[in-house]
Amino acid sequence: MSDELDEIQAIFFEECTEGLTVAEEGLSAMQNGDTSADTIASVFRAVHSIKGGAGAFGHVALTHFAHSFENLLDAVRGGKIEPTLPLVKVMLIAFDTLSDHVSAATGQADVPEDADMIARLDGILVAGGLSDEDEGLAPAPSAQAPAPDAAKASEPSAEDADPFGFEPVTVDIAQLDGDKGGPADWLVRFVPGNGDLANAGEPLLVVREVETLGGEIIAVDLGDMPGLRDLDTESAYFGWTLRVPGTVEESAIRDCFDFVSPEAVVEITREEGAVAMAAAPELPDVRAQVDPAGDLDQMLSVVQSIAEVTAVASPSPGTDAPRDVGTKYPDKPSEAVSQTIRVDLAKLDMLLNLVGELVIRNSILSDRLSSADQQRVELPELARLTRQIQDNVMSLRAQPIRQAFSRVPRMLRDLGAETGKNINLETIGDTTEVDKGVIEKIGDPLTHMIRNAADHGIESAEERIAAGKSPDGTIRLSAEQKGARIFVRVKDDGRGINREKVFAKAVEKGIVPADAQLSNEEIDQLICAPGFSTADTISNISGRGVGMDVVRSNVEALGGRVEIASVPGEGTTFTMILPLTLAILDGMIVRLAGQRFVLPLAHVIETIQPEPGQVKRTTPNNEVIDMRGEYLPIKRATEIFGLNDDRPIEDSLVVIVESDTAGQVGLVVDTIDDRREVVIKSLDQNLHPIRGLGGATILGDGSIALILDIEALVASPTQTRFSPKGMAA
Amino acid sequence: MSKLILTVDDSASMRMLLKASLTAQGYRIESANDGEHGLERMHEVKPDLLITDINMPKMDGFELIEAVRAEGGFKGTPILVLSTEFSDEKKTRARNAGATGWITKPFEAEKLGAAIRRVCP
Repeated sequence: MSDELDEIQAIFFEECTEGLTVAEEGLSAMQNGDTSADTIASVFRAVHSIKGGAGAFGHVALTHFAHSFENLLDAVRGGKIEPTLPLVKVMLIAFDTLSDHVSAATGQADVPEDADMIARLDGILVAGGLSDEDEGLAPAPSAQAPAPDAAKASEPSAEDADPFGFEPVTVDIAQLDGDKGGPADWLVRFVPGNGDLANAGEPLLVVREVETLGGEIIAVDLGDMPGLRDLDTESAYFGWTLRVPGTVEESAIRDCFDFVSPEAVVEITREEGAVAMAAAPELPDVRAQVDPAGDLDQMLSVVQSIAEVTAVASPSPGTDAPRDVGTKYPDKPSEAVSQTIRVDLAKLDMLLNLVGELVIRNSILSDRLSSADQQRVELPELARLTRQIQDNVMSLRAQPIRQAFSRVPRMLRDLGAETGKNINLETIGDTTEVDKGVIEKIGDPLTHMIRNAADHGIESAEERIAAGKSPDGTIRLSAEQKGARIFVRVKDDGRGINREKVFAKAVEKGIVPADAQLSNEEIDQLICAPGFSTADTISNISGRGVGMDVVRSNVEALGGRVEIASVPGEGTTFTMILPLTLAILDGMIVRLAGQRFVLPLAHVIETIQPEPGQVKRTTPNNEVIDMRGEYLPIKRATEIFGLNDDRPIEDSLVVIVESDTAGQVGLVVDTIDDRREVVIKSLDQNLHPIRGLGGATILGDGSIALILDIEALVASPTQTRFSPKGMAA
Repeated sequence: MSKLILTVDDSASMRMLLKASLTAQGYRIESANDGEHGLERMHEVKPDLLITDINMPKMDGFELIEAVRAEGGFKGTPILVLSTEFSDEKKTRARNAGATGWITKPFEAEKLGAAIRRVCP
């Protein structure tokens, strides 16, 4: 059971995350002026569900906080409190505390300090809105009259009469600790109200339950029984008096009457004393009621008719309870409602792995067959089906990137509070679907990019005004898919990169020699060099000892890369370019210095066998190839990897690849072996990352080949020059 | 055969929790994830008891109870509300809609069982 509970709790935490996303979206919409009933209700429901689950799993602090928050939301939902902008802002802060509570419940963080916030929420509820003082800069303080009963609604109303049943009964304490031989027996008088039969309630079951506590019926009250003509079979006429052993807790007896209707009479008294005795004479003797012999048959038929009513009221599985199926919803297929299913991610990963193996076996099989057999329809068909399975499994893992973006608004609020900068967030393309693995791994880089933009990019309000900008900064977060790649951009409208300062710092840190001639773009890239930080004083926001180099290495580990574009005075754009999937690659198998490598086909434009004289050396270290009158730079991967290659260029092939950063570049390879879909296996974390290698794969014959990272390979050659350690092999 | 209970709650964890604790007490459980779904499932599974949450998307618990009670065939089916709400106003509303009883979340499995037996022997 406990394993099962853990599993359910894990699902609850997932729901919390979803609920928090919904609540935050709703609150953001409210902040932007959308205070429609649906929006408010969605926030309320999200918080309410979190509270419900938290209570079930015993997260007391979370439940307590969510309760206060929910009460306020309920008052807003009910129109008792106006959702003014300042109030929404308070609720956003409360939302942050709620998120912290959820993190605490999952064990990822400490329980946040929430007493002040709870007091504030409760105070707003009591006052029926924010006080004028709290409203602060609010343009129009809520004109709403305070709702005096709002506060009352927030408290558990144990003292109030309970509509489900019982009025408080005072018990004379003296009777309790009175005497010899334990407490006196209870006398329980129960007269059901008419509502008790109407809602499929069954008063008899209540009596039976009291009997299970050791109670016995000592009198049945038929005093209200009308004549047969006036008898309503759906009304209750009986009353019971039971004697329950005095050792039974009063609350246990009360519990039995939890569901009886408000008009029902429930009296629980100790048998001794005037109250109990006074009740007794009111109870007529049943036999006295039915004494006249002629009435007996009538009475029997009445009892039978009541028995029939109760039988209908509580159908047991065997009886033929009315089964007339309504026609209102008959033709709606039941499948329509269960459109989603939760699957453990580990199972999906296992499936994905198996499909990967299937792809590999497929190519092994293909290798072993004669070329005639390879052409037979079954094999291509098998390959096609495998590919489809693969695509489908990949799509199962695709999630909207919104999940990665969801923590940004919170972060910006926190950053705004720390830096005193007011930063607006614009989000574009957050429905773009990306592999879940990618989403999980871009969280940290994204966080760092946002912090960087908020801390270094966006200027202070004064500085912005002086520069003729609006005092509020803007960060635009966007995602888009282009081909098999996802572009995630963080664009700020801040001061841009101060290249002089960056260069000076890089020289000071020994990252580049003082006489290095670097282009603007190259200087911008220095931000990502290991151990680089431009902040004069290390702030507690982005200067945490890790810099943008961590962003770069994280993104590169995913097979992606980071680009930086900056315009002084106008802002900086960080772009993460990520693969759509982490698993499959269409590749060209090439040889470099005799070893096999996989070159991602997506980059390949064409392949040529160079004529003598077509490749020219421009400087001792640079070669170009004449492509129909256009000169393209040539790269030798063998040099970058330090492989021995004495082969003359005329015996080699040049693969023209297109890269996002360097345009078209010629890559020198020995031969081209094959074209194949390969399953990407990431290189172990323990291996030192080698620039230019994106991973490894298992080929059809079972041997291992490394996968070339074209972008890294052709990207600025200067990289290896100014960072001797870490970047080059 | 053991009693069949339909639980309606928009929270998957709550549905699972209910299922786990009630199955352990010998009940058969069917679930639905909102009021609309719940009403459909009522027709499909014809449970001995309906346990429903109040705050749900599409159709809330009050509406579900009213809709169920409006159907002749379910007049005798007990309905329990299981909600974190506890205000008298809500309870009265539920009773007027046709609820048989009200249980406040969080629930203890034992008390929930007792509450069920109170309306569904």
